[in-house]
Amino acid sequence: MTTTDPVKTTATPKASRRTTKRPAEPERFALLGVWAVLFLVFSLIVPETFPTTANISNMLGSQAVLLVLALGLIVPLRAGDYDLSVASTLNLSAVVVAVLNVNQGWNIWAAVIAAILVSMVVGVVNGFIITRFDIDPFIVTLGVGTVVQGLIYQISNSVTITGVDRKLSDTMLTQPFLAIPVDFYYAIALCVLVWYVFDHTAFGQRLLFAGQSRDVARLNGVNVSGLRWVSMIISAGVAGVAGVIYAGTTASADPTSGAAFLLPAFAACFLGSTVLKIGRFNPWGTLIAVYFLVTGITGLQLMGAQQYVQQLFYGGALVVAVIMSKLVKTRGERRRQAEVRPDVPA
Amino acid sequence: MTVPTTTVASSGAATPAPLLRVTGLHKSFNGVPALRGVDLDVRPGEVHGLLGANGSGKSTLIKVLAGFHDADSGTVSIHGRELSSPFGPRGLREEGMGFVHQDLGLAPAGTVLEHMALDNVGHASGFRRVDWSAERTRVRELLDRFEVEVDVDATIDMLTPVQRAMVAVVRAVGGQERIAGGERRGQILVLDEPTVFLPRHEVGMLFALLDRLRAAGDAVLLVSHDLDEILQVTDRITVFRNGETAGTRDTAGSTRDDLVQLILGARDEHVAKGAAVIRDDRPPLLSARGLTGDRIVDLDLDLHAGEVVGITGLAGSGFEELPELLYGVTAPRAGAVVQDGTTITDLRPAASMARGVILIPADRKGQGGVLGLTVMENMSLPFLTRRARGFRIDWKAIQVQAQEACDRLNVVPPRPAAQFGHLSGGNQQKALLGKWLDTAPRVMLLSEPTQGVDIGARREIFKLIRAAVAEGMSVLCATSDYEQLVEMADRVIVLDEGRIRTEIHGDDITKDALASAVYAEEAS
Repeated sequence: MTTTDPVKTTATPKASRRTTKRPAEPERFALLGVWAVLFLVFSLIVPETFPTTANISNMLGSQAVLLVLALGLIVPLRAGDYDLSVASTLNLSAVVVAVLNVNQGWNIWAAVIAAILVSMVVGVVNGFIITRFDIDPFIVTLGVGTVVQGLIYQISNSVTITGVDRKLSDTMLTQPFLAIPVDFYYAIALCVLVWYVFDHTAFGQRLLFAGQSRDVARLNGVNVSGLRWVSMIISAGVAGVAGVIYAGTTASADPTSGAAFLLPAFAACFLGSTVLKIGRFNPWGTLIAVYFLVTGITGLQLMGAQQYVQQLFYGGALVVAVIMSKLVKTRGERRRQAEVRPDVPA
Repeated sequence: MTVPTTTVASSGAATPAPLLRVTGLHKSFNGVPALRGVDLDVRPGEVHGLLGANGSGKSTLIKVLAGFHDADSGTVSIHGRELSSPFGPRGLREEGMGFVHQDLGLAPAGTVLEHMALDNVGHASGFRRVDWSAERTRVRELLDRFEVEVDVDATIDMLTPVQRAMVAVVRAVGGQERIAGGERRGQILVLDEPTVFLPRHEVGMLFALLDRLRAAGDAVLLVSHDLDEILQVTDRITVFRNGETAGTRDTAGSTRDDLVQLILGARDEHVAKGAAVIRDDRPPLLSARGLTGDRIVDLDLDLHAGEVVGITGLAGSGFEELPELLYGVTAPRAGAVVQDGTTITDLRPAASMARGVILIPADRKGQGGVLGLTVMENMSLPFLTRRARGFRIDWKAIQVQAQEACDRLNVVPPRPAAQFGHLSGGNQQKALLGKWLDTAPRVMLLSEPTQGVDIGARREIFKLIRAAVAEGMSVLCATSDYEQLVEMADRVIVLDEGRIRTEIHGDDITKDALASAVYAEEAS
């Protein structure tokens, strides 16, 4: 390279430090531990209903929609942008599938592809407004999401559409593999894909930098606006996929229930950022968070808790997650800093 | 213009007790000392100038007084009351100090009245009603008293730069008056380079305001780089050098040469630059033609292979802007950048990188690297763009490369997995340099490359840059650190109000020559 000789000699004595072990970070696995304890406790309290194949299979399968949605959402979150329109996009996708398939008589697969494309248009609009006019994505996606909700009412005439082609339900739900609905495996596959993209592609690394510091990314030749735009399209497209799965699992589409996914999705993403890779949105953490949340809720409901426990749990989890990630980060920071300190020349 | 109304005696019983006295203040960052026991006293009814080269500790002192940093040791006394750090988030404001920072801290859309009322309300409990008519009267009276002719309902963006500066000053004074309550005590106002962004002919208006403060028995601590300004407006001057008080002088009887000597300290020896062959027989690697930015006006410049070109000037003269203009961070208003004989049309950071032009920005924490990520991740970024065309990042290769760069550049700790933000400034800069050098750039644009870097790392960075130049690279270094230019630069261009004032070559580059070129009298 350009500079080799002048300082090369000084480096060798320090090379032994290279083998220094990475600090163990037990906090990284805290949520997994809590999850295990939770599972154990519920198994002891309600042994006849909780630790059964039917219940576990139900828990795994029922959360596929939420997991897919959250996996789409972490893409813009990683780039430092909120996308509050994902829930209505999911709903739009489900309604489009139902309207095209049931009311218009389209082939189910054509309807599915159309629904995903329509969803991506939402992301295109979001990204255009955010990057072209440089507006806070929080407010843009809030507005666009509400517009989408209006469109849903319009195209569905505000009624629930039932009778979506059984072929869709068959591929999603009714033919379980190893007693677990197939949509669970789709979600896992997406999880692997997102993990690969985040950790092993240049795109994923650029997203990370764009999220951490827009200036640094830009000065290092990253097309930050383009990247943010693409991340909005991805999250909308994945929300569309989640909507298709949702329509498949219920074989119908109603104009309102999608909104209920918004908070759980954010809770899962933020809680997920406290696991495995602390302070970073990561797909496996999100997966763990989704199933941690559903374990808690299902267990409490089996113990006889009312429906409202769901809100309490999701809302509480979101708040606790952000506090936790802050605390854990500062603690880890202090320790790592102490590690580096002694080397700093005075 | 200003003859001190009270003759300030340097000793004797007649000396009034200082309003502000700083004794033995220490502060270090990451083990690098910024203040090594500074002393300062500011008396009532005086404008006190604070001078010093970059990194001499002026801004650190002000940040300590404002409560932004906590001092490590030392005392501060105000009105004879002794206090010790930490001063809390509001710093010494409650004790009667006011601060006007360079950016003035005014919101463009707010009115003058709102800004002044904010200080008043900010102190009261949250639900107290704002008495707008009383507030209006108070603000009017305050503005009248200091003869600042500004409409209280004008929004800040309607005001001229000097009016904004005056509003900021009166606001700082007004804020303290309320705190003192009842009888008006002498106030201490700290102005941090207030004139940098003001048009020359309007600076006098601000100084007239300072005179009125002085007449009211207040004290002003004026931080500035501009020697003429300091000589013109102050009563006494304190100079900081390397985190210590180099001396305090009465302005009457001081000359610009005395002050320059005091700022620079003893001359030290040159360090050999090492032989680099400047290929000015060949076409330049990168040129600017008629380049105009926010401050730079119609600049022509050629960068040849094998040379380090320094660019300097007073703050606000435009030298800081040049690297960013050449790199394409901000679009020039006029003019062009030429590389290899072709005019660059696509002037963006990504395109500049592809052409082998790289920038290491002055704001290392905000623009250079991401503090929360690891060293390796920070070093990987250009290679994602340049090399990882495939679908998969070769983390192993990047790890090896980062490790090699850390070892070669003697980054401490030499662990790519360490968090970037935990490295000292010098090691951060070395890591960034290593990253960019690995991209084999042709032109390197540096902005204040050794700001906040300890002396040992400075030397290493200079060596690295000289070695790179010896291999045929061209380096542009924008800095206000003269010592650095003396050690590194083959020629130095001094800017003044966006235009080239002079150019200094080779052995003529000395700290004295630079200082007198930068601080040269304005041609009238």
